[in-house]
Amino acid sequence: MRRDLLRVLGLWRGQAGWLLAGILVAAGSALLGVALLALAGQGVAAALGGSALAGGIAVLLLRLLILLRPAARWAERMVTHAATFRALADTRIWFFRRLAERLPAGIGLGRSGDLLGRLVADVDALDGLYLRSLVPALAALAVVAGGAALLAGAPLLAAAFALPLGLALALPFLLAPGAARAAGEAARAQGRLRAAAIDPLLGAEDVLAANGEAAAATRLSEAGERLAAAQRGLGWRSAIAGAAGGLLVQAALLGALAWGLASGEGGAALAVLGLFLAVAAAETLGLLPRAGIALASAAAGARRLFELADAAPPVAEPARPAPEPEGYAIRIEGLDFAWDPARGPVFQGLDLDLPEGTRLALLGPSGIGKSSLVALLLKLAAPQAGRITLGGTDIADLPAEFVRRRIACLTQDARLFDDSIAANLRLAAPAAPDAALWRALDRAGIGELVRALPEGLATGCGEGGARFSGGQARRIALARVLLSAAPVLVLDEPTAGLDAETERAFLETLEAVTAGRTVILVTHRLTGAERPTRILRLVGGRALPAAG
Amino acid sequence: MDSPSAARDDAARALLRRESRALRRQVGLPILLGLGGLLAAMAGAWLVARLLAGLLGHGEAGWASLAMAAGLALLGAGLTLAQERAQLAAGEAARARLRDAAFARLLEHAPADPTGIGERVSLVVDRIEALDGYFARWIPAAALAMVGPVLVCAALAWADPGSGAILAVAGLLYPVAMALTGIGAAQASRRQFEALGRLSGRFLDRMRGLPTLVLFNRQEAEAAALGKAAAALRQHTMKVLRVAFLSGTALELLSAGVLACLAWRHRSLLTDGGDPTAALFSLLLVPAFFAPLRGFAAAYQDRLHAAGAATALAPLLAGETGQGLLLAELPPRVTVTFTEVRLSYDPARPPALDGLSFRASAGETLVLAGASGAGKSSALRILMGFVRPEAGRVAINGQDAMALCPAELRRLSAYVGQHPHLFRATLRENIRLARPEATPAQVEAAARAAHVLDFAEALPQGLDTLVGEGGWGLSGGQAQRVALARAFLRDRPLVLLDEPTAHLDPGTEALVIDSLQRLCIGRTAIIASHSGARARLGRVLEIAGGRVAGAARAAEG
Repeated sequence: MRRDLLRVLGLWRGQAGWLLAGILVAAGSALLGVALLALAGQGVAAALGGSALAGGIAVLLLRLLILLRPAARWAERMVTHAATFRALADTRIWFFRRLAERLPAGIGLGRSGDLLGRLVADVDALDGLYLRSLVPALAALAVVAGGAALLAGAPLLAAAFALPLGLALALPFLLAPGAARAAGEAARAQGRLRAAAIDPLLGAEDVLAANGEAAAATRLSEAGERLAAAQRGLGWRSAIAGAAGGLLVQAALLGALAWGLASGEGGAALAVLGLFLAVAAAETLGLLPRAGIALASAAAGARRLFELADAAPPVAEPARPAPEPEGYAIRIEGLDFAWDPARGPVFQGLDLDLPEGTRLALLGPSGIGKSSLVALLLKLAAPQAGRITLGGTDIADLPAEFVRRRIACLTQDARLFDDSIAANLRLAAPAAPDAALWRALDRAGIGELVRALPEGLATGCGEGGARFSGGQARRIALARVLLSAAPVLVLDEPTAGLDAETERAFLETLEAVTAGRTVILVTHRLTGAERPTRILRLVGGRALPAAG
Repeated sequence: MDSPSAARDDAARALLRRESRALRRQVGLPILLGLGGLLAAMAGAWLVARLLAGLLGHGEAGWASLAMAAGLALLGAGLTLAQERAQLAAGEAARARLRDAAFARLLEHAPADPTGIGERVSLVVDRIEALDGYFARWIPAAALAMVGPVLVCAALAWADPGSGAILAVAGLLYPVAMALTGIGAAQASRRQFEALGRLSGRFLDRMRGLPTLVLFNRQEAEAAALGKAAAALRQHTMKVLRVAFLSGTALELLSAGVLACLAWRHRSLLTDGGDPTAALFSLLLVPAFFAPLRGFAAAYQDRLHAAGAATALAPLLAGETGQGLLLAELPPRVTVTFTEVRLSYDPARPPALDGLSFRASAGETLVLAGASGAGKSSALRILMGFVRPEAGRVAINGQDAMALCPAELRRLSAYVGQHPHLFRATLRENIRLARPEATPAQVEAAARAAHVLDFAEALPQGLDTLVGEGGWGLSGGQAQRVALARAFLRDRPLVLLDEPTAHLDPGTEALVIDSLQRLCIGRTAIIASHSGARARLGRVLEIAGGRVAGAARAAEG
């Protein structure tokens, strides 16, 4: 737990200035609060004891504090919150980058709902580390140390004041490990609740078609109950911590009184000071034990984030990249590959030679490994044996970024984002002018439809291209690949979802569009319009020449 | 211009009021326990004041009072514990009720809902969670803030009327300060929640398309864009907080001012020989007076968040659910008739269906053919109750199908959409979805009929192999066959298939068409397809522009 939290602090180094400023302002504001009540108490006590002069000074100081203390409180909250938000934003982006390195082939068997939960909820839980643990603990430390220093004249009284409050200060750190388990449970339960909501909504048509609404609702409310139970466990700990905090503050207060009773007339003034210090410290310290719960939640969030962020990348980047080759001929030699040894090999000794400008049609039934070949070419997976060269250099020695710059790919799961058509297209060429976008859309046979939209290129696509039919979304994704300047194009079933006429029109223009580039057309049947220079069929993990 | 937002606020308030009424008992208990705690704290303060006065040589108080004060401290801690427990229970009850209601409606409206999944999930998870604070913390805090200070004021007025008056003035000033700062905060809260929803949606959208981003080397650019979105969210949130914290500051100012006034008053009173216990009591009660108000200010954030969440939830929860007639029994044979049916999704675009008429007789297989966008899928979606036509009549066995409750309409059919979704579960569970009560033998028979067993038997765990979300680990053709297996297992009189062979290679397509033919025997089937193999399935009806194409229309006549 401590290691994870220290690592989180390391991630926040960039915001150290903001974070430190927050702690200083908080400590100052807490001390002002104590001074305010202590001075008021002193003023009255001094009057009772007949020392009007001391009371007068206290009241003069009070006037200043009345204005200073609220301003300090406001500044404290603003600075600590701003610091937290900055640090959390850094964490989110760090996590996104790590995930892009580690899960390029998709979310796979993990659940996207759970992932979202991790990103948003777990990162947010990290605010407990700073805002609800470090800041109040350090502010409270300042209060206890300051109070003990004022009472140093009477060691027993100082102990009666500082011991219970010191315990309240230590309580969060004593409670945290126990609460960590409960917090982990709550975080997992929230992830499961999210998944229970996301799963049926993703497949809503299939759930409705199966009249499965009731079953989905039951699953969700069960997940909700489990979350509530976990939160109840956590809330209960928090309540106990809160009650303990209140009791410890009372103990300090009554301790000061007891000391006063025991020491008689002479100790009255100091006892009054101790009592009012304890009353003033109550606000800062009384809530502190609850910080243990926040600390535990933060640790649980950090653990889950790091688990995901520390997974090994599927394909390591070369330690010393080879010089970037000019050419773009592709050679595959003796390639062995399996996603998972238990599922059997996808390729066994695959050889393939694709000089520059080849137009290859790669055939084979579904499930034979066409998509796997695409993954290997783009360094989304690494072969167990054999190699793939691009322009004569093994792609294992080339940065993935370079390989993906030279090979553009329309995968089966190519996705449109919830953004404008233009923004989706410009993923492939960020600087492309509108004219180039229109050219690509025309070539993909969707230009006319986009022109007919009132907002044209600015039309939003919806999440996953939901605003368009499957065929239309596919054609926009195709236009995106055609827009890319890569000399090698891999088109995995580019015409799936198109009707026969559109398919033929597209394939006929493909030759002109891709002149000089290497094209790998992955398909399960030829229509006769492709005019490939080579046709290969994947059979039993190898590529065999085939007639159309 | 102002009225739609006012109407939204009204709807949100009505929602919160309705729920608080329904949960009256759960919400009331914490208030009573909180008042008990406050009384214990006041009694404790009185004892401490007497002890202190005794210490300074005014009056008699000793160890017995100290022991009583300690007892009261323990009692107060116990009451606090009980209060928190009751609050947790109230929040839980409210969330469970609202989540169930919201989710049922979301699921029902899902096929026609253009909002992103991330945003909708955030509605049933984050926004419902945000309502927890309203029921668990805001309601008790608001009630205690009304009653608590009055109690403290009365107690102090009994000890010293002047001090009581000072507290009363402060108590009256507080709502003024809150009103001045609260109005802007409510507006800002709504903006902040919208930003939070967009940020969640954006993350999920980008996460789901991570491979696409990586393939275009855009992950860095997207990380920067996410950073910008986070910065925008921070600015929104800070705007909310600036105001919310200001109301907290007003409280600090009042509390400091009261302390100073009391100190001045009693200093001058005491020099003239006033009651020392009352003087100390008044100082010690200041924290107890402001504690409920402090709780109110802390919970005010909860209320703001809840108001934002309730505004988003109110339109959803106001919608009707599950209306329409129920089927007396499942008819064994079904005839479907479309008469001049019209449907448009977007007024800016041409209608999806523009007077479509056809008839599928009992036991017939009808193939709807035509270019993509011709309206084939829309016809099937109407029969599934996912969308409602604007005009025209859709009849099943001569009865108006749209009068049926959508869920009842769906009981008639086995449906495979264009993008059937596979859940993260085993192949077997994915098939069983269609009929949860099916026996293992029935599931296996369906898997065999749809040629799922052909590939499943090669997997080490067969039908018990785990599939990732969205069919990860299976090829498109394999996923399609799993979806067809669902249709076999479902075993209903009407079969609706949307492009059942779109993702298949020719070998698999032949297999699937063979099993489709068997599926359709004895059932009415409507199949949308532009594949060349469609003629083998049954009568072909060409559709173009949302209506039956010319030649076939004459034949239909």
